[in-house]
Amino acid sequence: MRKVTLIICLGLVLGLMPAASALRADVQTADESLFREVKLLVFDKDWRTALGKIDELREKFPYSPWAGEALFYKGECLNGLGDRDREALRAYKDYIQLVGARQNLIEEAEGRIIDIALDLYEGGDAGALRDIETRLGAANDVIRYYAAYKLSFVSDKKEAVKAAPVLKKIVETETDPELLDRARIALLRVSPESLKAAEEGQPRARTTARTLHISIRAAGQKEPAFSLNIPFALADLALSALDDEDKAAIRKKGYDINKIMNELAKSKESLLRIAGDDGSIIEIWID
Amino acid sequence: MNNDDEMKFFLKETEAVREEIRRVSGSVDWEALPGLIADKALAEPRRAEPAWPAAGPWGWLWALRMKPVLAGLAAGLVVGAAAMYFILKAPSAGPAADSAYYASGEFLDRAELEMARRNTLDYLEKSQYMLLDVFDSAGKGPAEPAALRNERARDLLQKKKYLNAQLERFQMAKAKAICDQIEMLFRELSEISEEMSATELQRIRVLVEERQLLLKINLVKRELQSGV
Repeated sequence: MRKVTLIICLGLVLGLMPAASALRADVQTADESLFREVKLLVFDKDWRTALGKIDELREKFPYSPWAGEALFYKGECLNGLGDRDREALRAYKDYIQLVGARQNLIEEAEGRIIDIALDLYEGGDAGALRDIETRLGAANDVIRYYAAYKLSFVSDKKEAVKAAPVLKKIVETETDPELLDRARIALLRVSPESLKAAEEGQPRARTTARTLHISIRAAGQKEPAFSLNIPFALADLALSALDDEDKAAIRKKGYDINKIMNELAKSKESLLRIAGDDGSIIEIWID
Repeated sequence: MNNDDEMKFFLKETEAVREEIRRVSGSVDWEALPGLIADKALAEPRRAEPAWPAAGPWGWLWALRMKPVLAGLAAGLVVGAAAMYFILKAPSAGPAADSAYYASGEFLDRAELEMARRNTLDYLEKSQYMLLDVFDSAGKGPAEPAALRNERARDLLQKKKYLNAQLERFQMAKAKAICDQIEMLFRELSEISEEMSATELQRIRVLVEERQLLLKINLVKRELQSGV
């Protein structure tokens, strides 16, 4: 009798296994396809519909791995809607707390938290800045650098200058030219003396010249209407960013940015003086 | 007066002087005289020293007034040192002597805008190459290793983070919209593993074609390039 019972049970188990497996496969397909739908909607910036699908996914399949990842996309949708910043912030913060959250999405979520915190601060929520300041000490370079870069835009200079040590570190240690230029401009904004110290700490061989000077004087004026002293590394960018009228005057005299750079590079201490038709004088020199 | 008379007169006057000398010599205590001379010689400078003016912040000027050579020397040193300082501090070329970095906020904004334009162009170009690689991988072209593709996608995602801030700030809406769509694709690419790549890459390829992403990238690139 026992043998018969055992055989029946074994038969039942073996018989039900494929059915259970098929059922599980169906569930995986259902949550995954719902998640894919969400991502397509996010791609097309259809935020409200995507939000509806995310809620459906999290409700129907609360233990699906896609339900966790959908939290990040919930943040994206709320952020995209524009008027639900605080909810978006909550969603991103919930995502980074998840066990098994993916590293690249964590970095993205941290970046969004920094963006939203700055928006909230500029909108009058002074406490929101804490979300950026705490990230200045993040172990992850990507998060720490981005927090410092964004903090440099804060209108309160006392707060903005807190970004200076991280920005200075970027100038001293990083090699990516895009990141370096961003850090240099951010430092020029919040602490030019820190930039000077960072540049002077670099080996001289990296650049023969240290500083680019530009001075523009109106006709008959001794004091310049415009002047700047910036690291030579930003020279190309600075010359491109001159006022349109000044750029036109330079072009009219047969100079373009490449020619100016070449002439300055020929001699370390050369001074380029360009006289405009209206009597204005543009002086560019390096040392 | 003849010569004899002159001689007599001379000897008489000399005798008078000699008598005076004898008288004075007799009154001198020759043993005590050296000590007396030494005492007077040592006492002389102390007596000549003027009274020191009342102590005060300008008291040192008194000493300079009394010692013109020293005062002149000190003044020369101060002026010389100051002149050397300014000569060495001044730049070797150029009209301004200031070497500290500075730039106006307005200029920095323009520099940021220029940087946004350049970096967006660079991002779009790199994105194009990346998407063309995906097309190759999804079709019959040479497939790029998944690890390398994922790394490149992550790198572009990081760049995009900074672009977001700049594109929003300078209201470059068209560029922002296309960069956002590309970002979404790169997020997908950064997660695709080697074994599931064929199907996933095909899916992304279809999406890129349906949304005419490469055409849109070219149009935005042209707009940004015209801003040079």
